[in-house]
Amino acid sequence: MADDLIRMEHVDKFYGRVQALDDVNFSVARREIVGLLGDNGAGKSTLIKVLSGAVRATGGDITVRGQRVDIRNTTDAIALGIETIYQDSALVTQLSIARNLFLGREPIKGPRFLNRMDVRLMDEVAGDLLRKVGIGKMIPASTPIASLSGGERQAVAIARAMHFDSDLIILDEPTNNLGVAETQGVLRFVRNARDSGHSCIFIAHNIHHVFQVVDRIVVMRRGRIVADDIDPKRTSVAEVEDVITGDLAGLAH
Amino acid sequence: MLLVLELAIFYAINPAFLSVLNISNTLTFTVELGLIALAMTLLMTAGEFDLSVGSLFGFAPVLMWTLFNGGVTSLSVGFLISLVVAALIGLFNGLFVTRLKIPSFLVTLGMLLVVRGTALFVTNGFPQRTWSAGGQWLASLLVGDFYVGPFRVYASLFWFVAAAIILGYVLTETKYGNWIQATGGNASAARARGVDVAGVKVALFILTAVMSAFAGIISSIRTSAANPNSGTGYELEVIAMVVIGGTALTGGRGTIVGAVLGILILRVMRNGIVLIGVPGLAYNIFIGAIILGMMALHSWLERRHQAET
Repeated sequence: MADDLIRMEHVDKFYGRVQALDDVNFSVARREIVGLLGDNGAGKSTLIKVLSGAVRATGGDITVRGQRVDIRNTTDAIALGIETIYQDSALVTQLSIARNLFLGREPIKGPRFLNRMDVRLMDEVAGDLLRKVGIGKMIPASTPIASLSGGERQAVAIARAMHFDSDLIILDEPTNNLGVAETQGVLRFVRNARDSGHSCIFIAHNIHHVFQVVDRIVVMRRGRIVADDIDPKRTSVAEVEDVITGDLAGLAH
Repeated sequence: MLLVLELAIFYAINPAFLSVLNISNTLTFTVELGLIALAMTLLMTAGEFDLSVGSLFGFAPVLMWTLFNGGVTSLSVGFLISLVVAALIGLFNGLFVTRLKIPSFLVTLGMLLVVRGTALFVTNGFPQRTWSAGGQWLASLLVGDFYVGPFRVYASLFWFVAAAIILGYVLTETKYGNWIQATGGNASAARARGVDVAGVKVALFILTAVMSAFAGIISSIRTSAANPNSGTGYELEVIAMVVIGGTALTGGRGTIVGAVLGILILRVMRNGIVLIGVPGLAYNIFIGAIILGMMALHSWLERRHQAET
């Protein structure tokens, strides 16, 4: 597909002799939410780590917007517009929402060598973003993350990805440990992100959450992709579960 | 608040406590230890600490005076060499902690022994001559004294104030401060945002080592003694100051204002209990009790805060 935002071709990853990814072909189109499913140890995390720069692929090609790229570390990934939101939402709980949003990319005011953060700008932008992702009650941007709920933390992480124009937002178990209402909130943020032009990879153990939000489901097993075009609107949860566990040789498609 | 209370109590018991002479005396040594505590505050906020500061405090002046007395270098070159060697030691600490992933407790404990041992070996355990410092421009720049009214003020006070302002600015106003707090608060989150966590830690180890050497040299010029044994036990006193100042031992949270208060609280305590007649040897009992009390207070405030939200 010419419209692919990101494409992995024949990607392998070895940890010593253990092969975590085996000839993986995977792509995400623009404005697409892809659900990535698989049992523990199926290779989902490794695939994510390769894309987010946490580990380097052993072999294969990765192209972003049609350009071949080499993702050596997280900085490379961020520069390519790939933002990863981990289970613990990767926020520093002691710091304020605004300081977290801009961590690593703080706006500077005044002479450059003084490296003075523009706290006012940070608070303003953060406030706008919080309204945009729709955290119901008004939370000032100077609130430390420690006093936010799990769902609000995910919202902050997603807001951060949206603000920095990440084309691809990877969500690793964003609904873990969340209540029902908060889960719905997070799923709404994900849809908002897609509607404003971002692509997402959504990983969750809870298949029902995945079904509610994704456009396409990809299933991994033992380091390989065993199904990559499951339509959640035309497939049942039970069928997908069979693909994940390998009970069914292959879904009819 | 604790500081005011402390001042009031000591003054009530012995009015000499707030005498001009006593204040200038207390401040003089306070700022020397304080220089180390300021740097240690940043390091501990980033989630690491350094036990080798006391041995560097003793080693750096020994190195400088040995070079100078041996006629190898001028005093100012010896001073620069000492600071560079301290920076290398800090770099070494930092690389051991970040590259080899050895806890800073073990790395800097080992470094403490190496540095202290070197100081003792180089000098055969004897203090170095320092009296030839008189008239050296460097000496007057570092510890030159003058009187403001009845107060005898050493230049080192200005170094301390300058360091406090600069480091306070770095920690709260700059992006580096944000990185330091993030490094101590959640290192993997900071790394995921592209913050060079290892770089931050190494830089702070270097800063702490250089500040310790600087403080040791100031102290040696003021007291006219470069004793290879000086600075023994300072590491714990400095860490105590920083912790009393509200910096979390686990990292992520710390302020320079708090550190300055912690420095004053401990030093005033030491001075005060001697003046009101408590034997100096009992000093550590008080320090220990204060630290335990502060920890209890912190955890109580923390729990109350959690309950509110």
